[in-house]
Amino acid sequence: MTAAFLFPLFWMMVAGYGIAAAGLVMPTRRLVRAVTAIGSVTGGAAGLTLACLVLWTDASLMLAAPSMLTIAGGWMIRLDRLGALFLALISGVAIPAGVYAASYTASYEDRYSTRWMAFNFGTFLLSMSLVAAAANAVTFLLCWELMAVSSFFLVVTEHDREESVRAGLWYLAMTHAGLLALLGAFFLLGPGDPAVTGWTFEAMRSAAPQLSSSTRNAIFVLALLGFGSKAGMVPFHVWLPRAHPAAPSHVSALMSAAMVKLGIYGLLRIGLDVLGGGPSWWGTLLIVLGAASALTGVLYALVADDLKKLLAYSTVENIGLVLLGVGAGFLFLSLSQPHAAMLAMAAALLHVINHAAFKGTLFLSAGSIVHATGTRDMNLMGGLVTRTPWTAATFLVGAMAIAALPPLNGFVSEWLLFQSFLPGVTSSQAAIAGLLTLGVGALALTGGLAAATFVKAFGISCLAIPRSTEAAHAHESPRSMRFGMVLMAASCPLLAFATIPVLTTITGALAGLGGLAWTAPAFHLGVTLRTPNGMAAMSPAAIGVVLVAALTGIWIVVRVVARPRVRVGDTWGCGRIGQTPRMEYTSTAFAEPLRRVFDQLYRPNEDRAVGVVRPESPYYIQSMTYQTTIHPWFQRTLYDPLIEGVEQVAGWARRMQSGSVNAYLGYIVFVLVVLLVWVIGF
Amino acid sequence: MDGLFSQVAVLGSSGVLLCAIAILWRHGVSGYISAFQLQSNVLAVLTAAVAYFGHDHDLYWVAAMMIAVKGVAIPRLLTRLAHRVGQTHDSEPIVNAATSLIISGLLILLAYTAARPLQALSAAPTRAGIPLAIGLIFVSLFVIVSRKQAISQVIGFLMLENGIALLAVLATYGVPLVVELGVFLDALMGFLVMQIVLYDIHDTFNTIDVDVLKRLKH
Repeated sequence: MTAAFLFPLFWMMVAGYGIAAAGLVMPTRRLVRAVTAIGSVTGGAAGLTLACLVLWTDASLMLAAPSMLTIAGGWMIRLDRLGALFLALISGVAIPAGVYAASYTASYEDRYSTRWMAFNFGTFLLSMSLVAAAANAVTFLLCWELMAVSSFFLVVTEHDREESVRAGLWYLAMTHAGLLALLGAFFLLGPGDPAVTGWTFEAMRSAAPQLSSSTRNAIFVLALLGFGSKAGMVPFHVWLPRAHPAAPSHVSALMSAAMVKLGIYGLLRIGLDVLGGGPSWWGTLLIVLGAASALTGVLYALVADDLKKLLAYSTVENIGLVLLGVGAGFLFLSLSQPHAAMLAMAAALLHVINHAAFKGTLFLSAGSIVHATGTRDMNLMGGLVTRTPWTAATFLVGAMAIAALPPLNGFVSEWLLFQSFLPGVTSSQAAIAGLLTLGVGALALTGGLAAATFVKAFGISCLAIPRSTEAAHAHESPRSMRFGMVLMAASCPLLAFATIPVLTTITGALAGLGGLAWTAPAFHLGVTLRTPNGMAAMSPAAIGVVLVAALTGIWIVVRVVARPRVRVGDTWGCGRIGQTPRMEYTSTAFAEPLRRVFDQLYRPNEDRAVGVVRPESPYYIQSMTYQTTIHPWFQRTLYDPLIEGVEQVAGWARRMQSGSVNAYLGYIVFVLVVLLVWVIGF
Repeated sequence: MDGLFSQVAVLGSSGVLLCAIAILWRHGVSGYISAFQLQSNVLAVLTAAVAYFGHDHDLYWVAAMMIAVKGVAIPRLLTRLAHRVGQTHDSEPIVNAATSLIISGLLILLAYTAARPLQALSAAPTRAGIPLAIGLIFVSLFVIVSRKQAISQVIGFLMLENGIALLAVLATYGVPLVVELGVFLDALMGFLVMQIVLYDIHDTFNTIDVDVLKRLKH
């Protein structure tokens, strides 16, 4: 019955995104914006409905056009539950992002081509959705590449700024290095002739058990390189803190909330679904890389002064948390503990969804802040809570959720991640117990630092008095931007409240993939959430209700019952005359204590210049400037030598380009002669 | 009869090739032009000879056109061009005369080796000339590579064209007349385009020394 709806919904989704892309040929700029918004909302709504139908019923969507690209297996679409979960996520973010873009892109109109932007936006949404629905290697890779290229063009929207172009270059280089690794993985995986078997995931799955263990290991490592670089896993995350700030904010929201998650999708699809798990070192590697990503991400987020860069580093952190969960899942699977594996995987996927909700909210709000103040530097913001109340409120919701404060959704998934690690801590194998203990430690440290990071992000940018005239004259964003932000922010408490149905859906999507047999419930799913061995139980909904009730109670007691008398008068000012922004905590200052603690890791360059009235009296200071820059160590140790090497090789190759016509002609003759000698010789 | 035909073909091809080699030790542009003119005329005579021995009457037309276009029209245009850009002497080529001759000798050797499979395929009495035609193509390429004056390179290109025509005549007694006409048109058009570009280069840089084009590289 429902199957009849799937095809119309699929084509509606394609058509919706197609309409968004058709902004390219719209006659007026207003129409471009309208078409983009309408198209992405339609497409997103259709995609969400389609995904939910696949997730909640037995229907599945199959589409094939084998005559297109027959030699590589043809176009093939098959939406199963795992793909549908990610399609739901993409579509869910596409709707608010599309609404938001309707007025957000207006500020780009005079400087950049919004038509080209609309075209890439539609293509980006469509290609992401198709990646989640691809059924064979060629469809997957083509959509993957289309997604990379269209998002690249969106990253370099502000193509006259050197920073954007550099970010785009980093992104392009990293994504293509990743694509190479993926091509390698698929070539190792592909069973037989692609024109016959189609290289579908199904065919790969049935052929995978026959692969030798070294081939399987090679496939896993290549897939980890390819998908990890897209997900922003350390040490392949370097593009992410550059590209996300450079892109327009609705695109950053989509990239951070949806696109990087497709890296996790790919890892699960290849590692779990096709290969069906592997030796225990796969899980160990994932846990180690996850912990490294989480800690690196949060530490750099903490010291970032650029609001969007902070959010981007926080994405690295959250991908690290997800990888911790996925790694624990793989590890438990290799130890044949399917229940524990299911719990860890489900926790990771719940975090994927939750992160999409709050990071989407944060990026949309950050876009609104940047729109209002004209800067991304938090040291120039402040006082936004009264000037742009809607933006500040949604930012606060996102920040609370990402800092894992109950009753919001971040709390639930981080709690579940802890719960998935804790049973392993008591494992009889010392190595595994140690590893998981370290994992718990990493989780805890990350959680604490993330909370500090977002106290800083919200406090410095929204509270206190404005630090610049732009911030002082900040204005609230137009209605459609506000609507998009509120829509996105509303999903945070909603997801927390609906944790149980969401988890049921996730476990439904995971069940049956690579040994994650759905035999008995891995955890009790009533109103309370109970982990398998009965170690812990929690009810997010109840916590929410109690907290909201308590807060309302306090408010009533304070405001209605106690009715404090309000007196208006001067504050005792300790003798100072007025309050100026120079007295405030800055973003740099807030992070300073923690920066000192982790000094060995950051190794910052500090530059302090003190201007004094007279050189002989250093205590009368006229001015003082303090500058600090951090050159990330992995960039210094890993990427800088690599880039230098490439440039050196390119320098040698450049010598061939002498500019002399004779030399160029000479090359042709030389090659001709060499070829002739070759032909005669053999 | 075939023996004589073969002798004539080899003699004619050698003459055509010799004209190209002559360029390597001459310095004046007018010398280049007359060498090219001579080459075209020898080629035309050879074509006529092949037409006579091979009983292919279309080739007479080709020979006539060769004299008209390559023997008369293009040399005249080249002379005018050389006067217009004030270029009568080539600057020192990249490779000096002695080395040039040695290199062209090696190239002809290579041509002999490279042509062996072609010769084995052909039963025509003219087949002994095929390596010489390929040699001419190589030598013309070498002329283009080693000269610094754009006008010398144009002449090198025209000789290359002659080499291809020679190969066609020797290997298959010429291609169909329609194709031959097309090739003539092509050569003429190519030459005209090069002429225009040459004027442009001269107007822009006040010289047609391609060495100066190196300045375009930043």
